[in-house]
Amino acid sequence: MEQIDYKFIDQVLADHACDASQIIAIMQDVQGKYRYLPKDALRYIADKVGISESKIYGVATFYENFSLDVKGKYVLKVCRGTACHVRKSGNVLQAIYDATGLSESKPTSDDGLFTIEIVSCLGACGLSPVVMVNDTVHPAMTPDKAVDLIEELREKEGA
Amino acid sequence: MAEKKMIIDGVSCPFTTERNVLEVARNNGIDIPSLCYCENLSIYGGCRLCLVENDRGKMDAACSMQPRDGMVVNTHTKQVLDSRRTTLQLLMSSHRADCLTCDQSGRCKLQEYARRYHVDAHRFEPNTYCTEPMDLSSPSIVRDPSKCILCGLCVRTCAEIQNIGAVDFSGRGKKAHISADFGKTLKDTDCVGCGQCASVCPTGAITIRNETEKFWSMLQDKNRRVVVQYAPSVRAGMAERFGMPANEPCTGKLVAALRRLGADVVYDTNLTADLTIMEESAEFLEKVKTGAKLPMFTSCCPGWIQHVEHRHPHLMPQVSTCGSPMAMFGSLIRKQFAGENVYSVAIMPCTGKKFEAARPELEKDGERLIDLVITTSELCDMIEEAGIDFAHLPDEEPDAPLGDYTGAGVIFGVTGGVTEAVIRRVLDDASPNTLQTIAECGVRGLEGIKAFTVTAGDLTIRIAVANGLANADKLIAKVESGEEQFDFIEVMACPNGCIGGGGQPPACNKRKAERAEAIFKADEACALRIPQQNPDLGYVYDTLLQGRAHELLHIHYPAHGQHS
Repeated sequence: MEQIDYKFIDQVLADHACDASQIIAIMQDVQGKYRYLPKDALRYIADKVGISESKIYGVATFYENFSLDVKGKYVLKVCRGTACHVRKSGNVLQAIYDATGLSESKPTSDDGLFTIEIVSCLGACGLSPVVMVNDTVHPAMTPDKAVDLIEELREKEGA
Repeated sequence: MAEKKMIIDGVSCPFTTERNVLEVARNNGIDIPSLCYCENLSIYGGCRLCLVENDRGKMDAACSMQPRDGMVVNTHTKQVLDSRRTTLQLLMSSHRADCLTCDQSGRCKLQEYARRYHVDAHRFEPNTYCTEPMDLSSPSIVRDPSKCILCGLCVRTCAEIQNIGAVDFSGRGKKAHISADFGKTLKDTDCVGCGQCASVCPTGAITIRNETEKFWSMLQDKNRRVVVQYAPSVRAGMAERFGMPANEPCTGKLVAALRRLGADVVYDTNLTADLTIMEESAEFLEKVKTGAKLPMFTSCCPGWIQHVEHRHPHLMPQVSTCGSPMAMFGSLIRKQFAGENVYSVAIMPCTGKKFEAARPELEKDGERLIDLVITTSELCDMIEEAGIDFAHLPDEEPDAPLGDYTGAGVIFGVTGGVTEAVIRRVLDDASPNTLQTIAECGVRGLEGIKAFTVTAGDLTIRIAVANGLANADKLIAKVESGEEQFDFIEVMACPNGCIGGGGQPPACNKRKAERAEAIFKADEACALRIPQQNPDLGYVYDTLLQGRAHELLHIHYPAHGQHS
């Protein structure tokens, strides 16, 4: 279980005046630090802003962007939007799954290095097919380039 | 100001302060269907069944439309009816319709509307209902997500009426469903089992935990003496199920029906309501005398007790230690039939009582006080099941001894009733004038929060009465901030008190007001109106309790000790 830095959360809450109407912004800031929303952090926030735990859970599960599961250090967003699809992003995705041993039902690797997400459109159709690694865009991907990318990240981490 | 009118289906419909077109129509005898609307809750506008058409042919939801003078709407044009049918077909496709074996069958609004709007075919794939498992963790209610149509009434009831928010929407789109946070079961949430969600649920997604099978088998058991008590408000909740007026109490028929079902002994919980008042007013006066921390809170309502344990444990020492009337009668029954094989059943308006009866604290001298709690609704089902013509039963009296009660016990069934009974006890005057003065002191009425002052000799008592836990929380916030001061606070978790309990047949506000009327009629019909006049009290204290009144009638919940 993740150790929660309550001082950090208190600061986030203070930045948003502990206001229930800013709950999404608060949750985004917390996810910004932990890369997901830890259970205890959500309960703490619900209590502080005065909404029920079931309500904050509802908000967290409504938005695709919020995650309740621990994510890998590198989050790979593979675009499966229309433009990427016609330029064979399906093959790119499969290559990444094969290289990492992950799948749609098991998106995060056990060593905590990778999380593979399928997204609908990254708004960079001109660069298709696109894969994003955290905040970096990798344009014109091919299955081979994808495998190289995974290797590169592994080497960087000495894994 | 000129009277405002709108035209609904070509008929001129006057309106005043109705909050939407739906209410205007219903007040003028036009029943627009809806599945997600409740007069006591915020407007959601999600089910789309209440669509009506305006004079330009546009459709909109009547629940979300403010009435305007001269407005024209039509509620049953071809376009509207087609839309309703399609909506119902869509809802049915995500609802597991096992109507023949569903507990809610015959009371289900989806079923009723499917019939009313002649939905003659499952037009869409019928297997897209929620596959989350049933939640059987609560002793009070059962949640079956596969029958949920996402109307959100339970969510709003829990949050707005009770300020608990045990469940909410989670997920999105076709994954949306109602759940507690992180998929917890109800018993791990702050749910108090009040059952208000079950009484607003239009389908069988939330139902009262049905324990009639257990009751039937005990009634057949020749080796057991089945002793049944029934609560004050039960007499005011049943009549309507059997086509009788809701504003008349049906006590005599209730007793007769219980005997015909096979109960060996029938008692009226009113006796121990009288007893509660004797104990509770003594406790209150003692607290006043010794300068203990006030306000003192009442303790009859199991939902309220659980709410204190979950949310205000520090207030527990201020909650009366009197057991609920149900628990007290449980004690008396064990003493009255000491050494016999007795099965102690309580007919209650309340789903929370199922939880209370199972609490470890409800045990005295090694015996459970109550073996089984059956709600008013379950009892009505059993009476139907037995084929008893309830409306034509003769009136019968409860068994003696322990069959006497006063009007002060009866009024426990409605918000303010416990308080009114305490005032009757403290003023100690049974003259009609005094009773009238008490009735008019501000204690009556179905408002969520009432506050008033009563003078008894040189003692001035500041009193507040709350129903609905959200109202109780508001009151507590005011007391804790020092904004208001009270000496005595009555809390009932359900809106309007026990007459609106989660175990009663579901009812609209108008119906609940009629039930309150029935309770006060039953009070007025009593020859004795103040609790200290109850002729059974001598027998109870001297013969049954034998100096152990405090030990046998009071209940110390864990939080009582931890925080004192």
